[in-house]
Amino acid sequence: MKNNIFKATIGGVTVIFTGLLIWSILSLMLMPETSEFIESTFSEEMLYSIRLSLLTSIVSVAFVMLLAISIGYVLARFSFPGQHLLRTIVDLPMAFPELVLGLCLLLLFGHGAFGQWLKSMGIEVVFSKYSIVIAQIFTAAPYAIRVVYGTFRGISPRYEMVARSLGCGLLESFLRVSLPMARGGLFAGTVIAFARCMGCFGTVLILAGGTRMYTETLPITLYLNISYGNLAMAMSSGIILIFISLGAIIVFEILNQEVVL
Amino acid sequence: MDLLSVQNLSVDLGSFSLRDVSFGVPEGAYCCLLGASGAGKSVLLETIIGAFRPKQGKVYLRGVDVTKWPPERRKLGIVYQDYMLFPHLNVYDNIAFGIKKSGLSRTWISDRVNKIASQLDIADLLERDVATLSGGEQQRTSLARALITKPEILLLDEAFSALDVNTRERMRSMMARVRKEMDVTVLHVTHDKEDVWALASHVAVIHDGRMLQHGTPEEIFNRPRPGYVANIVGAVNLIKGRVESPANAELGAVSAHGTTLYTADPIVHGTEVVLSIRPEDIIVARDSGLVSAQNQIPVVIADVEKRGPFVRMTGKADGLELVAIVTSSGYESLEAKPGDRCLFLFKASSLCLVDVSETLQEAVPNVS
Repeated sequence: MKNNIFKATIGGVTVIFTGLLIWSILSLMLMPETSEFIESTFSEEMLYSIRLSLLTSIVSVAFVMLLAISIGYVLARFSFPGQHLLRTIVDLPMAFPELVLGLCLLLLFGHGAFGQWLKSMGIEVVFSKYSIVIAQIFTAAPYAIRVVYGTFRGISPRYEMVARSLGCGLLESFLRVSLPMARGGLFAGTVIAFARCMGCFGTVLILAGGTRMYTETLPITLYLNISYGNLAMAMSSGIILIFISLGAIIVFEILNQEVVL
Repeated sequence: MDLLSVQNLSVDLGSFSLRDVSFGVPEGAYCCLLGASGAGKSVLLETIIGAFRPKQGKVYLRGVDVTKWPPERRKLGIVYQDYMLFPHLNVYDNIAFGIKKSGLSRTWISDRVNKIASQLDIADLLERDVATLSGGEQQRTSLARALITKPEILLLDEAFSALDVNTRERMRSMMARVRKEMDVTVLHVTHDKEDVWALASHVAVIHDGRMLQHGTPEEIFNRPRPGYVANIVGAVNLIKGRVESPANAELGAVSAHGTTLYTADPIVHGTEVVLSIRPEDIIVARDSGLVSAQNQIPVVIADVEKRGPFVRMTGKADGLELVAIVTSSGYESLEAKPGDRCLFLFKASSLCLVDVSETLQEAVPNVS
């Protein structure tokens, strides 16, 4: 009897939560008229926003994966003082609200010594399109690092030792053994990073500013249009973001890799 | 000069450490590193291959100090218990991994792979995905991958432990054949005495990060140092006594618990010694006849334990306790049961002097 009550309770909680989640998504998907959705989607502003989001996300993901492979491998393979501290620092942005992360980056690249030095080198980061990429990198990297770190941790270092006994140096054993063996985790990390970059809002808003048709990514389109009261555009950008996220999750599930998160 | 020489090696891994380990492996030898789980065998092996940097001590290959060399410079092949085949490569590419270098022709590589695959009976598996191989097939693939680069020494880390009994037996036979054909020196980490009997020309016993004894299998099994070595090689008959024979006697006489025992080993009058007799070397008889064996110990059978085709008989004589292992049929012909009187017979040449000079003296209390 007690077992049944327990099962019914946790089953009920699961059903209620997923039901509400699906309902909320469907509310958004079914709200706009088809004609309104098509018109908004193919508007100049939306097409600009989609293009900019895709372009910046692709560039950001490339950087994020380079960071994730480097830092994930260092954390998984090498023992050094401060290893746990490094892992905590790398994870920090995940715990931060995006707005706070954006503020930190604004101070670093704007008013701080580093920002001033970049400015003296002729590189203006803040409120430019570059800052979208920087915001996306800092937001998405911790997630990708976690996935890649877990993947490398799951690969026995003895594989590399075998490769090295067969004449490979550290780099060659990494390229010929560890990297190919980690490809599932690397792909998962890429998908997660891409989804995070596409949906990055708060950090982009603070660092790049929400300038229409300039630093306007999809989440910014949603924000700007809801502020103006243009619900059709806001909902359309929301639906496009949902489709992109769904696509990322489906690809992730198809991979079906066991990744230690 | 040994092909591999390890001198005063100490490795500190925090939770575990190797302490002052020294031993050598001559060229062409099959050396088994014997020890229980957690003894430090694999750490020693991985230090030799270059995975760990020792705190002190040296590793020499052909007399050259390679302690600070990276693994890829040492030319050592390794086969792990869990095979470590690269899952993203098929059998052919796994085997060819070490010889796929720029400048080498595909035909040459293919010839080498086919040749070694034939030697290890895996020629028909070359296109297979490694995940579809049985344990024995994976182990042979792993062996082929290590041997194809012609390593100075082949290191086997519990290489047969994950296999079932029959496959393990086949692997031992194949290993002995391949070693002969390829003339390779082997250092084999194992906890299995059968590996030692079947393959080893040299044995080193390691326990708790320390090397306790090394020598030929006969030396280790017949003259194990008391304590851990004696336990791991199954030496149950260790006898402490005092030499009473004159210096010029042909056989040494040792008084142990009121019984006089004879040994062919050279011993010094008046000294305390520890002697060892293998249980398999003891003949159990009902009464004394005319036999050449110099040691004839009257005992009372204290315990009889049947173990498959063998029977383990424990006999007691005053303070002396000896274990004999006889075949089941031999035991049945004796018709001996606990409480019966028997004779334990063994040659003076089978009673070996154990060297306790360097080893753990605290282990001697196990001696009767």
